[in-house]
Formats: sequence, C-alpha cells, structure tokens
Amino acid sequence: MSGDLRTTPDAHPVDAGDDRAPRSGRLSAKGVGPAAPVSEDTRIAIEIRDLVQRDQLDEARERFGELVTIHQRRASRIAYQYLRDASEADEAVQDAFVKVFSHIGSYREAWPFEVWFTRILINGCLDRRKARSRRERWFVAGEVSAADEARVSTAKGRTDPEHKLLARERRARVAAAVDRLDGRQRTVFMLSQYGDCTPKEISAMTGLNESTVRVHLFRAARKLRGLLGGVEKKP
Amino acid sequence: MRHQHLLEERLFECYLAERAGERPDPPAADHLVDCQPCAERYADLSAFMDGLQAEGTAEADAIFTHDRLKAQHQRIVERLLHVAHPARIIRFPGRRSVDFVRRSMTTSTSHGSSRWIAAAAAAGLFIGVAVGASYNYSAHNRSPQAFAPQVGAPLLNPVAVRGDNQQSAADDAFLSDLDIALERPHTRELLAFDAFTPHARDVVLNR
Repeated sequence: MSGDLRTTPDAHPVDAGDDRAPRSGRLSAKGVGPAAPVSEDTRIAIEIRDLVQRDQLDEARERFGELVTIHQRRASRIAYQYLRDASEADEAVQDAFVKVFSHIGSYREAWPFEVWFTRILINGCLDRRKARSRRERWFVAGEVSAADEARVSTAKGRTDPEHKLLARERRARVAAAVDRLDGRQRTVFMLSQYGDCTPKEISAMTGLNESTVRVHLFRAARKLRGLLGGVEKKP
Repeated sequence: MRHQHLLEERLFECYLAERAGERPDPPAADHLVDCQPCAERYADLSAFMDGLQAEGTAEADAIFTHDRLKAQHQRIVERLLHVAHPARIIRFPGRRSVDFVRRSMTTSTSHGSSRWIAAAAAAGLFIGVAVGASYNYSAHNRSPQAFAPQVGAPLLNPVAVRGDNQQSAADDAFLSDLDIALERPHTRELLAFDAFTPHARDVVLNR
C-alpha cells in the first residue's frame, strides 16, 4: 500500500471539488461539507476562484498570497516529514501552491480549502517519494545536509557534540520507524501528528472511513511504540 | 465495583478526543479518574504521542525558519506570475496566413506578369514531357540484347556480358543465377537480411 490519496476513483486532487462525486454527499453527512461554517481560508479560496473567472488575475494572485501565508508553515512541516529533505520539501510545497492556483477554477466550496490543498500536497509528496525510491536504486541516498542539521541542533538550544549526536540518532530512529509504517498508516499518522488534522479531516482527505482512520492511527501508534521502545504497560 | 481496565484502543480514543478538544467517552473518562493504573497508561500514551509530535514539529520549524518561509513565499508568487501566461506557441501557417499570402500575391503582382509565369511553367512542362517521350522512343528502338544485361543487373555477371560470345554469356548468367538461388538461405525470415547484405561474390565480380 502506498498511501496515495488517489487510490479512490474520485480522489484526484484536481477533481477533488467535483460535486458529482458520491464522496461529496458523504462529506456533507459528516458535517465537513457545506453545512459546516465556511472557514477563513475557504472563503478566500472562493474569492480567488471568482476573481480568476472574471480574469482579474493580479488581484487573484494578491489574495492567493494570503492563503500561502496561512498554510505555508503547516505544509512545510508535513512535506518535510514525508520527504526528510528540506530542499525537496520546499519544492513540494511550492508545487502544491502553484497547482492549487492553476486549478482554482475546479475548486468547490463543498470541500474545506485545507482538505483540498492537503490532498494536493500529499499526492505531490508521494510522487516525489516514488521518484526518489526509483533514483535510489541507482544512486546512493543523500543525507540531511549539514546546514539543516546544524539549524536543527542550534534551534534546540544545546550545542554540545554529544547531545547533537544523540538528538540526530533519535531523529533518525523516529524517521526510520515512521518509514516502516504501512503506506496508509504513515499518511494518517503524519496528517494527524504533523498536520494537526482531526480523524474527520483525515477521512475527508484520504477518502477513508473515519473509523478506519482511527484504527490506522491506533495501529500506527502501537507499532511506533513497539519500534521506538515506548512504554506500553499491560493492565 | 470495577472489574476491568480500559483497552489500549479505548485509551487511544480518549487521547484523540482530548487532542481534538472533544469530551471523551463518559464511562472511559470516569474510569480514568478512578483507576490509577489506567491513568498511568493514559499518561504514558499521551506523553509518547505528544513527544513525537513536538519533536517532529520542532525539527521542521527549525529548518523552515521565518526567513526561509519568506523566501518560499516570494518564489511561489514569482511562479504564479507565469501561471496565466502559457508558453508562446508559434502557429503553423494556417488558413488565415495562406489567405493572406494569396491576397498579397494577387494585389502585389500585375495580371500580365502572372500570365507570363503561368505560360513559362506550361512551356517548361511541355518541353520536359516532349524530351522524355523522345528519349523513351529511342530507347525502345534499340536491340533487345542491349537491354539484356540491364534487366537483371544486380544478379548478372558483368564480366560475362562484356564477353565476345553473347550466347555463352547469357548461359553463364543463367547458371550464375541458379547458383545464387541455390546458395540463398531457404528460411523465409532470412531472405530480407540476405537481400540487404553485400556478397563476396558480387564484390569479386564487380572488380
């Protein structure tokens, strides 16, 4: 299982806002659809779509800058955790925003903007992971750049070499453990932990049933605790 | 009186509910208040999950600093400038351009000169056809023997054709054709390759 969000027929990011898709009805029933109050970013996205349709592109771009500001940090976190490479994550985030703007005409308010955008971002990240795994068959895998590593170490306040080494090892262990998760479990776990998404939102993003999302999350947590030595006391 | 502890799944549900700011399942919440071992297990689970989240978030935030995000924002804005301006495509001359050329030709040249051009083209065509016909006529009037070597040119032996005795040359050519036919591969698939491949015998004979 790859965890690709396009596994369901109506899950293509560009088509994500299609009202005809049966998922739209299911979303409405769950309260993520039009019945839910429209969030700020969704409202801006609708405005941008209308501006683009009226061919007022300069104004649309200006408004889109606000959306970028709202979602940029969260998107970078998710992309970085998926790709474990700062430059590639940076590019993935840029690509996702550009793709969103290019296809804003197909956006429907039945979907919260965050859900639509995150799907596009994650599909981009998954494509990059696939491309990288193909590359890595032929080339040696790149490591985290020294500059990024130094940034992470200094940001944590401790600069002694021993602490740096331990922290680096721990991060590598966590990344390896997350990487060992099953594709869907990994996607669900990352969206929950690094994307701050609720199971309901993850359900909308992935097309999985909400209870399935909860089961995936639970299994991911249990597996990670087993791999990372987290205490799992038996009652 | 309590007989059972909470299962891991129930503890995890409580954790998810708390994270989402929702109220956990009331029986489970009551149990967590009353049962010390379950409360400890819940605290461990929460600490583990929160620790993972905090560490991952801090790591990403340390790399994606304010400046880096600002630069990223700038690059996105720059890329968006090109979104509505697709690459310029140079159109293949279509109907409009052909019409334009036709119109410009008719307007820029006089009727007299176009008539001259047409007449010259017709004359050229006529002369070409006439010369071709006369050439073919003279070729047909030649003796049939003169054509003999040309018919099977690639297979014939030029040395034999140039010989004095034309009859024996024709016989040699016939026998040579037979030899070649027998030497050829009998597999149908190989015939095409054989036809394209120069043979040593041709090279020797053509020398």
